[in-house]
Amino acid sequence: MGVEAARQLAGYTAAVRLGWAVSSNWTRPILFVVYSVLRPISMALILAVMYTVITGNAARTRPYLAFLIIGTAFWSFIQEGVSEFATGILEDRGRYHILKYSYMAPLGFPIFLVGRATSKLASAAASVVIVLVVGSVALHLDINPLRINYPLLVAACLLAFVSVMAFAITLSMVLLAGKDTHGYGEIMASFLYLFSGAIFPISVLPGPIAWLASLSPLPYWLELCRRAILHGRVYQMFPNISDGEVLLRLVVATAGTLLLGYFVYGMTDRRARRMGYIDMEANW
Amino acid sequence: MSTAQRLEYSPLRIFLKTIAARAYPRVMAANRQKTWVFFDMAFPVVGALAMVLVYQGLHAPRQYLGFVIMGGAMLAFWQNVLWSMGAQFSWDRGNGTLELYVISPTTFEAVLLGMALGSMFTVTLRAGAILVLGSFLFGISYAAAGTLPAVGIFLITLAALYCLGMLLASLFLFYGREAWHLSNAMQEPVNFLSGLYFPVHALGAYVGGAASLVPMTLGLDAMRQLLLPGTPVFIPAGTETLLVAAQIPVFALLAGISLRYMESRARTDGKLVTRWE
Repeated sequence: MGVEAARQLAGYTAAVRLGWAVSSNWTRPILFVVYSVLRPISMALILAVMYTVITGNAARTRPYLAFLIIGTAFWSFIQEGVSEFATGILEDRGRYHILKYSYMAPLGFPIFLVGRATSKLASAAASVVIVLVVGSVALHLDINPLRINYPLLVAACLLAFVSVMAFAITLSMVLLAGKDTHGYGEIMASFLYLFSGAIFPISVLPGPIAWLASLSPLPYWLELCRRAILHGRVYQMFPNISDGEVLLRLVVATAGTLLLGYFVYGMTDRRARRMGYIDMEANW
Repeated sequence: MSTAQRLEYSPLRIFLKTIAARAYPRVMAANRQKTWVFFDMAFPVVGALAMVLVYQGLHAPRQYLGFVIMGGAMLAFWQNVLWSMGAQFSWDRGNGTLELYVISPTTFEAVLLGMALGSMFTVTLRAGAILVLGSFLFGISYAAAGTLPAVGIFLITLAALYCLGMLLASLFLFYGREAWHLSNAMQEPVNFLSGLYFPVHALGAYVGGAASLVPMTLGLDAMRQLLLPGTPVFIPAGTETLLVAAQIPVFALLAGISLRYMESRARTDGKLVTRWE
């Protein structure tokens, strides 16, 4: 049992290192960081200018700017965890032709996928921190590292990571069925952007879509991140719900995502083996 | 026709035939692959939709929704320039097509022009669909009087944008995996600097002036001034049009010089046939 656990841990660590190497070894570390943060910082600046154009940066609307910037910063986890992860798995199969070897290795394939997803989430962390620093310095958001509710932030993020991994792994297994699905991870991340409450409250969405969005763990995760960082000084999506209740909703939504992901993964995995998707020649 | 007769083809004829030959797959193949038709349209639409909802969350005047829809349509072109022009030679090198271009009796310029013309046609159809769909969905109306001049500015902007794409293609010739990352990294900063979702005026004179190096910045601003009256003026539309028109020969010339230099370096370094970097 202990030996098996140690082997799984070693395999997981190797998958994390492999994911990190594939993501980052094409250039020098500093250039990698620059490339990684250009996108989220630009996104934050786009939203900041849109906000300024409409509100004139009035003091009473500042909580909404904080809402936008924190949502954009934490969105990097989804961008990397869903979009880049799905692209990475499709590249492993179509471009580098190594997915079949990962699948055949004694390490369980899901462990390999979780390891790859972990490396993506870890590389997103730098973007999150840098966007928050830019938000504090350039946009004068009142973010004080000493006043952040870390237990709430960590609990919310850990739950969200479980959801993101479950979703991303399932999505990449679904995408293996296509020959030319490269880029669909990006599209899915863009759709999630609409339903997550990252840059606008989900109440802005039309009724049925807002209801669907409320089933996702993402709005609750981002709400808790905002509350943990700027409690009381940020626009709230669920002003009538306490932190504990938002956390409870996040737990329930995460459990639902995990359960759904487990069943869909099982189905897509069986189908992939039956149809030969794991080593299918894709159009690369 | 004998081989000897084929050799008598004039360079101009080969040039024109290359353009047609390279444009053909851009038009036909792009529409054969139905998933990519969806992909090309879905990405800008979803991006624009997100920004429309941000403006709605901010209770912005309806005019700003028009800004976003026009920006979303232009985004389709910028994506195409980055991924299907700029990074194309890098993909071609990976799949072995680049070496065939080099040993054929044609020029890189003709290949790139073919790519550009084919892409312009295909993406214009898709951008048109985005514009019509978005405008209908959010009830946006445009000034009818500005339509014809806006179409003219649009064509000039496209010409300048794709000349920039040719320049990028030459610069990307050396890149392996960096091409993907570089295209990815250039996407959002240019969306910001070119004012895809807000008036360029808001960036101020210096940042807006620097951003004007991307033809989309001035072209889009000029079209907005004509189609969405009341748009904050960055530079008068006439001046913007002249500046964009001036960028066409500049980018074309730079692309030519850069292509010659990069090709020569790539031959020296053996980079034309390198794969899987």
